[in-house]
Amino acid sequence: MRAYIVESRRESSIMLEIRNLHATVDGREILNGIDLIVRPGEVHAIMGPNGSGKSTLANVIAGREGYLVTEGAIHFDGKNLLDMAPETRACEGLFLAFQYPVEIPGVANLYFLKAAVNAVRKYRGEPPVDAMDFWDLVHERMELVKMDESMLKRSVNEGFSGGEKKRNEVFQMAVLQPRFAVLDETDSGLDIDALKVVADGVNALRSPERGFLVITHYQRLLDYIVPDHVHVLFNGRIVRSGGKELALELEEQGYALYNEEPGRARRAAA
Amino acid sequence: MTAAAPVFQDSSRPAFIEFAADRREPDAIARLRRAAFDRFETLGLPTRQQEAWRLTDLSALKAMTFQRPADALIDAGALPTLGLPAHRLAFVNGRFAPGLSHLREMPDRALIASLDQALLAYPQWIEPYLDRLPGLAQHPFTALNTAFWEDGAFVHLSRGTVVETPIHLIFHAAGGDSTVYPRLLLVLDEGAQATVVVEYQGTGRYLNAPVTEARLGDGAALHYHQIQQESPQAFHLGGIRLQQGRNSEANLHLLSVGGQLARTDLEALLDGEGASCTLNGLTLARDQQFSDVHVRVDHAQPHGSSQQRFKSVLDGKARTVFDGMIHVRPHAQKTDARQVSRNLLLSRQAQAHSNPRLEILADDVKCGHGSTTGFLDPDAEFYLRARGIPAAQARAILVHAFANDSLNSIRLTPLRERLARLLAADLALDIMEGE
Repeated sequence: MRAYIVESRRESSIMLEIRNLHATVDGREILNGIDLIVRPGEVHAIMGPNGSGKSTLANVIAGREGYLVTEGAIHFDGKNLLDMAPETRACEGLFLAFQYPVEIPGVANLYFLKAAVNAVRKYRGEPPVDAMDFWDLVHERMELVKMDESMLKRSVNEGFSGGEKKRNEVFQMAVLQPRFAVLDETDSGLDIDALKVVADGVNALRSPERGFLVITHYQRLLDYIVPDHVHVLFNGRIVRSGGKELALELEEQGYALYNEEPGRARRAAA
Repeated sequence: MTAAAPVFQDSSRPAFIEFAADRREPDAIARLRRAAFDRFETLGLPTRQQEAWRLTDLSALKAMTFQRPADALIDAGALPTLGLPAHRLAFVNGRFAPGLSHLREMPDRALIASLDQALLAYPQWIEPYLDRLPGLAQHPFTALNTAFWEDGAFVHLSRGTVVETPIHLIFHAAGGDSTVYPRLLLVLDEGAQATVVVEYQGTGRYLNAPVTEARLGDGAALHYHQIQQESPQAFHLGGIRLQQGRNSEANLHLLSVGGQLARTDLEALLDGEGASCTLNGLTLARDQQFSDVHVRVDHAQPHGSSQQRFKSVLDGKARTVFDGMIHVRPHAQKTDARQVSRNLLLSRQAQAHSNPRLEILADDVKCGHGSTTGFLDPDAEFYLRARGIPAAQARAILVHAFANDSLNSIRLTPLRERLARLLAADLALDIMEGE
């Protein structure tokens, strides 16, 4: 394992590296050995049917409690991600756009964002953000996701519609400017207009330095966020990888192909 | 009789007789005191066998040998300021401290004064109201206060008088195992309006048993804030009586932070059609603190509305009690009465008791109550941490958000801000300055 870390550090173009990841939730094995490498500038899509382990993967990467990694490793810029608290992962440049953004009554969106920005700056040894600079950044990024200014004063996600919540996730991402973002079913529950707004926001943040992991059940999102790589997750394993055309194939054939012979997939994993 | 409890000195008749003999005041008031002491003797100190005191353990108080307080001098810097121009009356050990007080130019037809001094000058304005308001008949500490009060504040606003400047009443107890009985009488005639801020604080060990009586005439409006920040060794056992006339409006904020044992009993009588009463309570309790609020809102006339919103935040082995009654009399149709009690537990050893009660005797009313008790939401905590905010700060932000919500309706901005800082300090919250 140690030799491996040295090797991955040498390979400087690797951003996120997942190796043989196994994870359980409440004693149930959900991830059965995932291998994945994301390089800066790449957008990877993870597709799969319900229960395939998509959200578990997102939560394990973000460090949510209750997800136990039993085997394997995740490295982010060569650092052992699994050793880090969730806030440390965020400060290192990781971002999770939640599938179900949490409502936090009494905490204004703007206050929350500023606390987050300053926490990251403190971690980097930087002084708190200048109030004017922060305001400028917030306004610029609000336009990116076509967010109304009134949402800044409202409590985080409280009473937001499904679309507003997802937009708020992308807005936070745009303000925090992570180097690697995981989008956990950011398209679920969105109508086509909201989907376009969210996708435009993500596309505007694409850059040669930034990596994305886009988790989705449906191919539709990938019409707007065009991935470099598509992986099919099934029974906690990546069973197929390919280019963006794989998403279209899945759209036509559905996941039935994988559902039909789960036994074989599992045997192959063993 | 109280022969079995000799240690609580004020409860003895000789102590009362000695105290009463020194008072120079109208006969009517002397009679009031005697009647109140008789009532106290009949009631006795509460025991846990009484339903209303089932959860309030007074054994530590009963073991005290309290005396009447000595005069004390304190530094003006020990008293809070409002950060606004205010009519300020300060009391030390229950006695008026003119040097620490400051009355601004008074509008016509308004009197803001020491109750004791006002009683000498204008007894005819006080006698009709003092201890005449309904409620708290079974509350021994109200009886004790009526028997033993030395001073307090009297606010009388005649018809239509609006006092914009807040009235700031500060009661400081200097400890030394003493008892203080502040008495507040607020009489707002028809259409009068006032904003009152009452602060209880002190050092060392003492019993503070204040009583506030507020009578609102038709269309009167009272914004009342009570900040209980007693010393950690103090006992606070207070009573509030409120009587509201037609279309009057009462907004009360009750913040309870201090004391080893604190309890406030409040009875509001909505005695005129269309009266509205809002009660906003926030209790912070930690370590071994016990903090209790008993509220009874009595709707006696139609078209009244009342809101009770009580919150508590508990840490350590603290215990809180909220006992809230909505009573709607048969005649009080179209009443709209709400009650919410929410408790946030920061420790597994803390205990919050909520006891919402409804007695609805009218058939065309809207009444509702809700009660929740729980720990911090782990999903919310993770959400904040996933954005880079350290765990301790994430919890602090969530606790503060829960508590601060109770302060948002305070209109006096500097006071609201001071109380927000007080919350943060009391809960040892590491919170960055917000927007």
